[in-house]
Amino acid sequence: MASRIEIYSPEGLRIDGRRWNEVRHFRCAINTHPVSSDGSSVIEQGNTKVICNVIGPAEPTLRSRVISDRVSISVKLVVAPFSMIERRKRPQNDSRIQEMCSSIQHMFEDAVIAHLFPRSQIDVNLYIVAQDGGVLQACINATTLALIDAGVPMYDYVCACTAGMLDREVLLDLNRIEESAMPFLTMATIGGTRKVSLLQLEMTVQFDRLEPMMAAAMSGCHHIRDLMDSEVRKHGKSRLERGSF
Amino acid sequence: MPRDLTPSTIENTFVLKALTERIRLDSRSFNQLRDLDISFSSTDFGVVDVKLGRTRVIARISAEISQPYADRPYDGLFIISTEISPMAAPTFEAGRKSEDELVISRIIEKSIRRSGALDTEALCIISGEKCWAVRADVHFLDHDGGLMDAACIAVSAGLLHFRRPDITIVGVGSRREVIVHPITERVPVPLAVLHVPICVTFSFFDVRKASAAIAGLPGKDNMKEADDDDVEEENDSSTTVLVDATLQEELLRHGYMSVTANTNREICQIQKGGDMPVEVGKLLSCAEAAIMVAEKVTKLINKRLKEDEARRNVGNLLVEARAENDRYIV
Repeated sequence: MASRIEIYSPEGLRIDGRRWNEVRHFRCAINTHPVSSDGSSVIEQGNTKVICNVIGPAEPTLRSRVISDRVSISVKLVVAPFSMIERRKRPQNDSRIQEMCSSIQHMFEDAVIAHLFPRSQIDVNLYIVAQDGGVLQACINATTLALIDAGVPMYDYVCACTAGMLDREVLLDLNRIEESAMPFLTMATIGGTRKVSLLQLEMTVQFDRLEPMMAAAMSGCHHIRDLMDSEVRKHGKSRLERGSF
Repeated sequence: MPRDLTPSTIENTFVLKALTERIRLDSRSFNQLRDLDISFSSTDFGVVDVKLGRTRVIARISAEISQPYADRPYDGLFIISTEISPMAAPTFEAGRKSEDELVISRIIEKSIRRSGALDTEALCIISGEKCWAVRADVHFLDHDGGLMDAACIAVSAGLLHFRRPDITIVGVGSRREVIVHPITERVPVPLAVLHVPICVTFSFFDVRKASAAIAGLPGKDNMKEADDDDVEEENDSSTTVLVDATLQEELLRHGYMSVTANTNREICQIQKGGDMPVEVGKLLSCAEAAIMVAEKVTKLINKRLKEDEARRNVGNLLVEARAENDRYIV
């Protein structure tokens, strides 16, 4: 099937009509679940949709999770069975899901100003409603926004983006079809800096091709950071105008 | 009973202070690997004992005939089992997967299975009906850091060393039969290994965090906080990178990155956990260093394989049985 689809046309257009350095349509909403959680967000990157709910900082549920000098973060990820083309119920302890949860947990334990909330716990619940590539990156971006909405102090945004390499062409922000056709990496940066929090590559790639992929992913992350920042400021402004708390 | 291996504060400050003075406790340089020893079993094919410093791992490769998956009739099966028992360290519980275990098994999966080190199409016997199911069992005997590095070396070496029994297919159509020749009858056949993935783990230490931890020593100024003005200055010297950490260094590290590379200058996988943000240029130079380590380790594996073959073919019988031309590996 993949061989009949032209991933990157000679004119420089991808399957969905984007250029190589264009990020998918990015829509985010903050404070979407004001009653059930302390902070929430919904992120749509192209067709990938992720909902994030954050509860906390609060009393820890498990005594074994208590860390005496900083906050502990617990991440749960649920993939909806209707999120893929074929309806499939993923088992809860799938190792890929567990790996994603553990990556997100470690990332945010470092990104949140943790020493302000000793002996507390922040629960992050992620729901993947639709998958079209870039699931990990959407989860990371959604978590950042939800934590900001919950009022958890953070050092900076954590923004993620994917980049792949098809022959010698770098493509930014891949969808599902592109992800299965080429090696790609997922990168998460701290805001607009050059510091990388997460870097994940799962398919074999020539070493010389790594640098352009990382450069493209980094600029994608910075772009997404600007998109998230404008949404956060817009949301903050509307809250101030409404006068609500 | 699982016990947390948290090191004491005094150990913590000692190791970190030594690192700020560019000293490692075992007096290695920052990018030096520990002594690596690879030994193959003299009786069985595919049993490798790898000692990386004091970390000890044994990999055992075995193969049996089985049915392929319905959606992949032309591929054989390849399973890697990396269950860590309390024999390696008291923190590991038999049966329950701790987070470390999950990370190790995922990285070994990605390094060896997903990168296609073993050609599964060559394992097919009769498409859709019979295929070889190769199984790699990794036993972790001693945990002194670098479990995934040692396990990756062990499985890669084991795949190169293993010989499966030779088979012949007799008959046609639905009445085909597969005859498995015992190794006493026919020379066993090596597996089709496409490349040799070697995993290298880099441990990151944040010098500013380390200084803050050291400043917490009694007698020093306890009110000193981590500098906030250093945030703008993103120079490379704020991050210390160690290659091949011992268990003590692993427990104290602020972040890690695991890179799997092979001698074709290919990077098979990168997993940088979210622990500590590192400047991107540093990550690239780590990936390059991983390629050099992979070349050194692959050379050692090939050397040991040759020595093992020389030991087995005392009368040079197997050499005469081969019809291959000599290959020169530089």
